[in-house]
Amino acid sequence: MPIAHEFDYHKPKTLPEAVKLLAEYRGKAKPLAGGTDLIVWLKGGLEKPEAVVDIKALRELGRIVWKKDEALIGALITFSELIDNADVRKKLPVLWEASRTVASVGVRNRATLAGNICSAVPSLDSAPALLVYDAVVHLQGPRGKRQMPLKDFFMGPKKTALAPGELVTGVAVRIPKKKSGGCYAKLGRYAGEDLAQVGLAVLALADNTYRVAHCAVGPVARRAEKIEGLLNGKRLSDILLEEAVRLVDKEISPISDIRSSKEYRLHMTKVMLRRALWAAVNRLAGSGPVAGSSLI
Amino acid sequence: MKNISIQLKLNGVRRTLEVEPSDVLLDVLRDKLGVKSPKVGCDRGDCGSCTVFMNGKTVRSCLVLAVEADGADVVTLEGISKNGPTRLQKEFVKRNSFQCGFCAPGVILSAEEALKKHPRASDEEIKEHIAGNLCRCTGYKPILDAIKTVASGKASK
Amino acid sequence: MQKLSQKLEELTVPPISVGPAGGHRVVGKSVERIDGWEKVSGAAKFLEDLDFGPNLLYAALVESPVAHAKIKKIDVRDALKVPGVVKVVTGKDFPYKFGLYMKDRYVFAYDRVRFVGEQVAAVIAWSPKAALRGAAKVKVDYEELPIVLDPVRAIEKNATLIHPDLGNYPHVPWFFPKADTNIAHWRKTRKGDWEKGFREADAVLEDTYFVPRYAHCAIEVHAAVGLYDMSGRLTVWTASQSPFTQRNVFAEALAPLGISHKDVRVITPYVGGGFGGKAGVSMEIIGAALAMTVKGHPVKVLWNRAQEFCNTYQRQGVVAKIKMGVKKNGKITALEHSLYWDAGAYVEYGANVVNAAGLSATNPYRVDNVKIDSICIYTNLPPGGPYRGFGYSEFSFGIESHVTRMAQKIGLDPVEFRRRNHIKEGDTLPYGAHMNPNGLRESIDKVAAEIMWGSKAKSDDPKKAVGKSLVLFWKSPAMPPNAASSAFLKFNEDGSINILISGMEIGQGLLTAMAQIASEILSVPVAKIRVETPDTDRNPYEWQTVGSHVTWGCGNAVKKAALDARDQIFELVQRALHLEKDTLYLEDERVKCRTKPDFELSFASFVIAGIQTEDHTFKGGPIMGRGVFMPEFASAIGDPETGQGGHPNVHYTTGAAGLILEVDKETGKMKIRKVALAVDVGKAINPDLIRGQVVGGLLQGFATVLYEDMRYSEKGKLLNPNFSDYKIPTSLDVPEEIVPIIVEVPQPDGPFGARGVGEHTMIPTASLVANAVEDALGVRIKSMPITAEKVALTVSKG
Repeated sequence: MPIAHEFDYHKPKTLPEAVKLLAEYRGKAKPLAGGTDLIVWLKGGLEKPEAVVDIKALRELGRIVWKKDEALIGALITFSELIDNADVRKKLPVLWEASRTVASVGVRNRATLAGNICSAVPSLDSAPALLVYDAVVHLQGPRGKRQMPLKDFFMGPKKTALAPGELVTGVAVRIPKKKSGGCYAKLGRYAGEDLAQVGLAVLALADNTYRVAHCAVGPVARRAEKIEGLLNGKRLSDILLEEAVRLVDKEISPISDIRSSKEYRLHMTKVMLRRALWAAVNRLAGSGPVAGSSLI
Repeated sequence: MKNISIQLKLNGVRRTLEVEPSDVLLDVLRDKLGVKSPKVGCDRGDCGSCTVFMNGKTVRSCLVLAVEADGADVVTLEGISKNGPTRLQKEFVKRNSFQCGFCAPGVILSAEEALKKHPRASDEEIKEHIAGNLCRCTGYKPILDAIKTVASGKASK
Repeated sequence: MQKLSQKLEELTVPPISVGPAGGHRVVGKSVERIDGWEKVSGAAKFLEDLDFGPNLLYAALVESPVAHAKIKKIDVRDALKVPGVVKVVTGKDFPYKFGLYMKDRYVFAYDRVRFVGEQVAAVIAWSPKAALRGAAKVKVDYEELPIVLDPVRAIEKNATLIHPDLGNYPHVPWFFPKADTNIAHWRKTRKGDWEKGFREADAVLEDTYFVPRYAHCAIEVHAAVGLYDMSGRLTVWTASQSPFTQRNVFAEALAPLGISHKDVRVITPYVGGGFGGKAGVSMEIIGAALAMTVKGHPVKVLWNRAQEFCNTYQRQGVVAKIKMGVKKNGKITALEHSLYWDAGAYVEYGANVVNAAGLSATNPYRVDNVKIDSICIYTNLPPGGPYRGFGYSEFSFGIESHVTRMAQKIGLDPVEFRRRNHIKEGDTLPYGAHMNPNGLRESIDKVAAEIMWGSKAKSDDPKKAVGKSLVLFWKSPAMPPNAASSAFLKFNEDGSINILISGMEIGQGLLTAMAQIASEILSVPVAKIRVETPDTDRNPYEWQTVGSHVTWGCGNAVKKAALDARDQIFELVQRALHLEKDTLYLEDERVKCRTKPDFELSFASFVIAGIQTEDHTFKGGPIMGRGVFMPEFASAIGDPETGQGGHPNVHYTTGAAGLILEVDKETGKMKIRKVALAVDVGKAINPDLIRGQVVGGLLQGFATVLYEDMRYSEKGKLLNPNFSDYKIPTSLDVPEEIVPIIVEVPQPDGPFGARGVGEHTMIPTASLVANAVEDALGVRIKSMPITAEKVALTVSKG
């Protein structure tokens, strides 16, 4: 299936050059990294840019920069690179686990984490994982550089806070200071590749604080603040967990679509919250299910 | 929208050609470079029939612009058995692993990648690597069995 | 029952003894596929892999965005201005009807559209991009009409008529359309006195089951390239299961343009999956017709994946109402089975699916009092058609669910119930003919043992429950009574062989099986036999590769061709060398003689060159075998009101399948721990390839019950025309253990006793899951698919 729409192609060699190009097209140019979303949209006529700006020559975006308490994941880092990175697996296990549920190997070899968040679809697997690590988006545009917490980046389904001509240059992820255990639980229609019908990331920290984030059960992925508020400072127990489960109805706003009914999404968020919280707490204690295994 | 001249290494041979910015690598490989093993299946990255190696990793050539392949090293199924059949290919034939064979080029490249990454791949690793290649005929079992045999070192050379 | 077997035997080829010692050389052996290396090396060519040179044109379609409307006006002016566009073709260019069993379609919608996605016009251009740009510029004015999507509502009194001219449509004599309704065909099968049967029953159960539409999802999409050359002949390259049927339909449809059968040539390379979806003629007619408008240019029509979903055949949805009566001892006294088929906008093929189901919807049970109504109903959805199982996959869900429930109702073990009622050789079929020899009982017993029927399975995980089920299946090839197969077999100088057939290799391994049959008779190794895909100019006739009948039908033709070649060899050796032909036999690619152990003559020495005699002259010449097979005992004509009197089905392949299913009570997620399927194939020509059919067919079937279904909007638009939302299984979704069991009760008229097996392995899956879910959780789900969501929500509602 050919792309019937015509456009210009640029491959700038430096970041300033890229930003300048994007500015020149006044929002009518699309950046291209892995292309696994963009090219589908081009074929379907959902995007008709005047130009495509291929950012893959921007070497500075192709790195993960590790600091003591932070990893800055460059915009060209693919999901396969995250999965194959031993530090990511060790220090950011929830992101590692979520990355493994994105599409399939052949797609993950090209699809980037930054491109993923730019699509801003409600079912974004990477988002709950990034949210529990308090991720911050690094942007650069005609007005210079800026940073923005990921939770503010998502404005609505397929809508982000990206200004016209602005480029995501990377995503900074905070490495938890305390010992932690975490997991990403995903509801798909089967074990193979699927878009999440419910995605749930949980991070349990050694000080009995908890971070819970979800996707596909509301217009955007977000942290479950009410549930976190209830749990924080307490040791997990079945009684506590049931109290948390009772908050699910207030925490999420799922819809019915072709992939799942609202009813099943609600039901499964509760089931998954029970399983994911226990998995995270058990992993923190050094037991729990093997990394990467499906929790449902 | 002027044409762009690109150069790539295709199955070890340097090729130069003109493409439009909107040309997709899969179509260019098949229609302009005469390499037919990558197949058109879903054209949106779901089925894996168009799988090729690009710079050492499998990609969906239906989701790559041809211009992106400028300077790249592209290997298709035609390229992996230049020096005779691989152990995997022999095992696939022996086990009658494929039926219609349409998914075979993509499956074989994904399997080669799995074994390159994990020479002693576990059953789960094998399934994970093949999961992006849809096959409607075989129920996957004879495909997975062949890969397992090679991964366990039991395949005949 | 020996009588029946003998009768069938007489109708076909005489038994042959093979080799001096008897037994089989290669039939029954799991040899490697002869197309194996071709497919694994990337050398195998599918339609889209063929090159047509720089003169090739490309077509893009303009499709209806509405489900039912009159076409008021088509404006093509802007499209013609797009650079690269050559021509725009609309329905007015081809005012001819076509169809396989009923002529109810036009090449392009003529004056009205009847489903979303229907082809309204085509733009032909020098590049695919230009064609798409042109298609976007074609303006069509529609006047929308009321739509009807539900088959049951479509037969209500005031329903909108989808085909007001139905009464005038030509059709085969075994269809019974009702003019001025949406009923395109009504197959009635009546046997015995069902009302009396219900009165005599100790228990009666009545219920309704729902089956949605499904898509084949071959990974290769449909495509066609047509070339009407300067001499006036039409060649069409297609991805097809039915090259000769296509040639016939093309020639008939385009006859007004001066085309005759000899002018039409269909060439079909390897097919990337068929499953019935590439049977008959769907989009290929567009390729043939467009070629007629651009003489001298090949023109390509390639479906994209969304078109593949929306505008080829789909498996029809069905609403099945079942009423069954039984005695306390388990004997079925009566069955009423009414099937309301959502056949879509055109039924030229789909009506025959309805017909097949109407003849056999008892499933393989002996029922003396039967009333079956199988009703083919037009709806404003895409055309229905054949899909692996051809009606049986569809009705099996209801009937096998119902049989298990019936057994429960009288407190009888469901497997014991099946043992007491299953059909046996010689029993009278619903339409009056008699059942063929079969290994159904052996299949039941072997499957029951394999899944340890009778012992309750448990899970270690308290959240999970385990259920078991066992169901039966049968299916007959649904084919016209005169569906024929034929074969040519040619020797080459080195004694190798080329076999020409038009049975299609669609993945099932036909080419290999045919090579094995010829190898068996002629003693030439399989590796020295080449069998290739058809070209209707070169290869002899085959009706279609559908209905799991080619191993049987085409196999008989190949066997006859090989016997013909063998007889020519024996005649020649007798004539040239004066050896009695009755003393000759073939072994190791040589002619040998029972009375002269020292004599041997290699094929290579004479199969082309002939045999040189004492006077230095040569006798003989190229050895070429010819074989033709037609089931001369079949007839499709019975009483329209009862179906009695004909012999529409040549034979049934039967079997049983069992399942051990683990269900998570909270999530509804299901895991197949074990599935066993026993099928009576008569004789396994290649056991490995049969196991391939079992493993592949089971997963395709399980997908229809666990994951897939086609979802339509209220306006008739398909909502999931892609693999992102029509979920066909991946390597992560395979059963934990699959046990294929081959049963061999020979089919008297089959090659070496073989009968077909391709479709059958998909048929039992839906009811297996429904019955196992009930066994595990105590809930009965009566609509497909049985997704995790449906199970979890049913359980949570109690």
